[in-house]
This record gives sequence, structure tokens and C-alpha cells, in this order.
Amino acid sequence: MTAVSSTYIKTGRPFWAGRRGTGLAFVAPAVFIMLLVGLFPFLWSVAVSFQDLAGSNQTGNWIGLANYKKLFADARVWAALGRTLLLLAVALPLELILGLLLALHFQSDRPLKRLFVALIVLPAVVSPMVAGSMWRLMLDHKFGPFNQIIAWFAGEAVVLLWVIKAHLAFWAILITEVWQWTPFMFIILLAALANVEREQLEAAEIDGAGRFRVFFRIVLPAIAPVLGIAVLIRALDLFRIFDAVWQLTRGGPGNKTETVSIFMYIRGFQSFETSYTAALVVILLIVLSVAVTLALKRMEITR
Amino acid sequence: MLKRLFITAAFLGLAASTPALAEDDAGAAAIAAAKQYSGSSITVVAEAGLQSLLDSQYSGPEWEQLTGIKVNVVELPNEEIYPKTILEKQAGTGGYDVVLISPALLADMVNNGAVEPLDDYVKKYGADKELDDINPAFRDWMSYNGKTYGLVVDGDVLVTYYRKDLFEDPENQKGFKEKYGYDLAAPKTYKEFGDIACFLTEKYQPAMYGAGVINTGYTHFFFSERFRAHGGKFFDEATMKAAVNSEAGLKALTEMVEQNKCMSPGIETWGFAENLSALNAGEIAMTISWPPLGRWTQGVNIDDKALSWVPKTVVADKIGYAINPGGHPQLASGFLSGVSPDSKNKDAAYLYAQWMHSKSQSLKNVMRPVGLRDPFRISHYESPEYQNLWGGAKAYLKVLQDGAAAGYADLSVIDTFKYQDSMSRAVIAAIGGEDPQTALNTMAAEWDQITETVGADKQREAYKVWAAKPSAYRE
Repeated sequence: MTAVSSTYIKTGRPFWAGRRGTGLAFVAPAVFIMLLVGLFPFLWSVAVSFQDLAGSNQTGNWIGLANYKKLFADARVWAALGRTLLLLAVALPLELILGLLLALHFQSDRPLKRLFVALIVLPAVVSPMVAGSMWRLMLDHKFGPFNQIIAWFAGEAVVLLWVIKAHLAFWAILITEVWQWTPFMFIILLAALANVEREQLEAAEIDGAGRFRVFFRIVLPAIAPVLGIAVLIRALDLFRIFDAVWQLTRGGPGNKTETVSIFMYIRGFQSFETSYTAALVVILLIVLSVAVTLALKRMEITR
Repeated sequence: MLKRLFITAAFLGLAASTPALAEDDAGAAAIAAAKQYSGSSITVVAEAGLQSLLDSQYSGPEWEQLTGIKVNVVELPNEEIYPKTILEKQAGTGGYDVVLISPALLADMVNNGAVEPLDDYVKKYGADKELDDINPAFRDWMSYNGKTYGLVVDGDVLVTYYRKDLFEDPENQKGFKEKYGYDLAAPKTYKEFGDIACFLTEKYQPAMYGAGVINTGYTHFFFSERFRAHGGKFFDEATMKAAVNSEAGLKALTEMVEQNKCMSPGIETWGFAENLSALNAGEIAMTISWPPLGRWTQGVNIDDKALSWVPKTVVADKIGYAINPGGHPQLASGFLSGVSPDSKNKDAAYLYAQWMHSKSQSLKNVMRPVGLRDPFRISHYESPEYQNLWGGAKAYLKVLQDGAAAGYADLSVIDTFKYQDSMSRAVIAAIGGEDPQTALNTMAAEWDQITETVGADKQREAYKVWAAKPSAYRE
């Protein structure tokens, strides 16, 4: 046993944290930078949210909670939040189930497995802006293949205006998101499945456990931490979805597909309602921080 | 002897007048003054797409050749020109030298400190000598609170284009009269526009449809025109409550939604380019759009590979031009060139703007389809060169000039961009299937919220100034 590892074992702390002062000196720059880049913008947003900064008013007077009051009374914010959560509630399970099924399928050796895995993962490496533009073309009523395929099945010309009609625009966004991010779930879960202990699986098989029982009793608990993180990452991504929606509908028709991020972009960077947008940012950051902390605690990842 | 005397006199006369001509030519003056900045470069904002091709492929290289100043072009989508310009100003980057200003947003640009006052430059470099030549409808755009902030480079007015051959066809005329009880001619009301669209669609579809319109992007222009044609007022001046959800608003929006039924499948997705392509390809018999369509459909001055995506015209010499139904076309957008206060080379930036605005250079620009720059000077309308560009050019220019004189100005108050954005979303929502009254009510609620944020009294003052213009409501 080396001196280093003996120190670790003796004190229960890494070797460099042996002396309190030295340890603090080591971590202080990193903590300072983290605070600077992480906490400062948040505190700045909090300060701005109590002012009336806007494009036409750059002096910024203190107005107390006025922006927060306005925010809670703004039906457009709540509608955007509702749409974002709806998209999250539909897209996330779809991505998870499809990703998991694909991962289970490719878990065992199959012909041309590497090629297919590479092809499946391809959408996830495309820029979301590009994916949005591509799907806008795919869904075009005149030149896009999507309507043509539906027309073949329908046996007559079909004009579905995917990004114009309110009842279709949500599905257009959903299709794009699921297409692009299911591969992310797939690749993460495929890696997790590769680490499930073979001995356990073989033992279960010998004991006569069925496929479902093996999956739910052995595989799922084994991949649960990774699956939890993948779900958390995608949930956060979906909550702040912007690119695909912007490219497909820009939040339209009207405000029918406006998500929280689109709302914030329009109000913050097109209408220049800086303080009002900052108030929304502060509320969302607090809500998301609490949600993520609870989720991590639940998954026992912070241990 | 007499001949020699005449030649000598003519030579002396020409020699004497040449410096005066050069001195009065704001374009030549800009070139001469700009040479001192040779070797520098300027960054010019241009609308992404066809507009920017003018700066990047024609004017920019020509300016560099003439003055030695390199022109870098930043392309921005139309709806992002204003916000990005303001963002650059707020960040103080000095990233843009020549900015592009939609006249309706000039007041907001000035209030945000995003444009430089140009009066001193105008006098210093001689642009004032050509100001009287600007169509009064557009000259008004250049100033705010008595100061000049931009030079007109594009005089927009919406125009009705129609297929003369189909409208003059005796069989069509007879059939139309029998069905609708009046003559088939360029529509004088939007109801007539709808009738003609349905009649021709019924007869020619699917090879051709009666009309095409622009339904995505810029929709607030089209709604604004119809709304006022039906007697609508944007605000109740006493309370400053939005009045866009009035009967006039409902009539205008319902018409816009209903007319789509007699048009090409998928018309709801059409923007400027789709509409232009369809007219060029002979797939629609009538449309309302910006002036460049007149040049595109005639196929004049199109010699660029970058434009190969636009179908070659099959309707040259078949297109008629008319002032929009209602008689008051929207002076939809237009552009001014201005100078960024953060520019590190303001004089060079201004001189490029002056050159583009000058009589001599702007005439070249407005005769090209690419660049989408449209006539804004009296000399443009009266130019023999332009009038002879194609058989119908004179009639086309007359419609542009008369339309501009009778046109509706874009609404311009404080935070105009927000009102425009809200209006566009409401129109697109209705076109996408929402009940028009519901869409209008949503718009009105948003407008009230914007007005409340600005302050009703402050906004009333701005609105009163705008509403006092004859081009606001044309009563």
C-alpha cells in the first residue's frame, strides 16, 4: 500500500485535503470561478427583476415586485408553461420507451450492429436548428415526403399544413424532438445495459425467471441510476426547448406552440423587456433548482 | 465658320457645366469624398435573401472599386433587423456601420440611441441638393422630431398584379359578368378581389388559381391596409384602448381567411418567394405584393446564378398593374440607410448610404429585380431609361407613384415592433384556423398590455402625431 492511499484511508479524505488550509487554497480558485460564472448572473437577474429595465428605458428604476405581479397575471406565460410541460409529458416517455426498446434490441450481437447503431445515433449529432429546418422541409405540404407518404396510404392528395394549422403544429414539434433525441436515450441506455452483470442474468435464467421478470427485477434496477440521469437531462432539455420550435413554427400559429423559452426570447430579445424577462428567469431557475435537487435526492445521486 | 463657332460654344458650355453637374450629383460627391477612406472597411446590414445580394454582389464590389472601401455585408432576416440592431447598440459592439431602418421603427431606433443624426453629414457631403427629388410620401420617413436619421433607399408600396390576357379574354369577361353582375377588371374592392379569385380558380384549377397572397411573414402590412380600408382605427384615442378587434378588424380578417378558400392548396404557407414564383410560373392570375414583382415577371435585368431558383417568367408582357383594392395601398415597410452611433468609421459609412440613396446610383438599384429596392424618387418615375425598360414599365411606374401618393403609412408609435408582432401572430393564428374574433381579441389584449407598459398618455402623444398625418387614415 502506498503512502498516498494510506493517508486516504486513515483520514477518510483525499491526500490533498489533509491540511485544511492547503485544501481550501486548492479549491478556492475553482469555487470562485464557479460562483462568478454561476451565481453572479443569477444574482444580477434577481437585481434586474426588481427594476423596469427595457429597450426604451435603460436607466432602470426600482419597482419592487411589480414584474412578478405582472408575470403571475400574464396568461401568455402560463399558456407557454402549460405547452412546455405538455410537450415534456408526451415527448419524454416516448423517447424513453423507444430508446429503451432500441437499446434492448441492439444489446445482443446482431448483423451489422455497429453500422445500425451509428445510423440510429446520427440525428443526435445534428444541430437542433438544422434538424428543425430539415423537418420543416420534410413536412412541407408540396415538396416534403411526409404528406406524400400519407397520400399513398390515403389514396388521394393530402394537404396537411403541419406548421400552419394549430392542431398539427404540436405534432410537428413532437415528431422532430422524438426523432432527434430518442437516439440520445438509446445510446445512454445501450451503454448502461452493457454493464449489467452477466452472472446475475445467467443465474436468473438458470432459476427459470421469465424475460419480463428478469427485466423488471434485474435489468431495470441495474440501469436505474443511468436511466434516471438520462431522463433528467432530457427533461431539462425539453423544458428549455427552443431550436426546433423556432425553426418549425416560431411559436405560431399565433402563440399556439409558444414554449417558455420562445416566450423569454421574444420578450427579452425582441421586445427588450429585460426586467420582466429577468423575473421569469428567476422564478424558473428557483423552480428548476428545487425540482432537480429533489430528483437527484430521490435518485440518491448526491450521496 | 458658323459650325466651328457652334462647336466651340458647345464645348465651352459643356466644360463650364461639368463641374456644376458633378457638384450637384450626390453620388459623385460621395465617391469623391470616400476616397480618403480607401483601405478601410465598413459593415452593412442587409435583409437576408434577395435584398442582401444587391450589397454583396453589385453595390459592395462596385463601391470598393470606386473608393477602395471594402463592404462587408451582415444578412439579417427581416423580423430580426430591428432587434439585432438594438442588441448590438446595447452591447456597444460597433459591429455595424451602416444600419437598415424600417421607417415605422425609426422613432424606436432613435429612442434606443441606435442611429446617428445625419443632418450635418447631409449638408457636408451634398445630399441635400437631391432631397427635393424624393417622393414626398417617402421623404417624410427620413426624420424624427425634426432631425434626419436615415436616407431612403427603398420606396415600398403594395401593388396589385393581374394577368391582362385572362382579364381581357372575352369568354372570361362574359362569364364573370353573368355570374357577378359587373365587369371583370382590376379589383377596386377586396370583395371584388375575392370574387375574381374564385371565378378564375373555378375555371383554371389546378393548372392555375385565381389569386395568390402572402400569408406568412409581413402579414401585419396586409391586415393594416384592409383594416383601414374598412374604416378601422388602431386605437380609441380617448382611452388608448386597442380598437383592432372592432367590426372593421373582423371584416378585414375574415376576408383574409375566407379568400384562401379560392386559392392554391397550401396557400396558408406562402411567403413572398412562393407568391413571386407562382406568378412568374403562370400558376396564379392575380396577386398583391411589393414592386419588385413587376421587374421579376418581366424578366428584366436577371442575369445572376444566385437567382436561378426563381422560375423563369412565362408571363412577360401579360401582367397589368393596379393600385390595390380600396385605393390606398400600404406603404409597407420600405427602408432607410442610417449610420450606427458606435461605428468607428462614421463618415465612410454615411458616404456609402448617400451613394446608395443618390439619384444616379439609386436609379440603377431600383431597376434591378435583385435587391428588392423600389423607386422612391421623382426622377425614378420619370426616367426615360426606366420607362423604356419594357413595354409596360411606364404604366408600372405610374401605379407606383400614384399608389405611394394615396398610400397608407405603416403605424408608427412607441414600441411599434411589439404591436406589429402581435398583429402578425393574430393574423397567422386566424389563417391557421383560429376564430378571427378570438384572434383579434387576443391581439387587442396584447396591445392593451403593451400600451399600459409604455404608458397610455405617453403613447397617446406619439399616436396623435402619427394619426395627424394624411397617410394615416386617408379620410
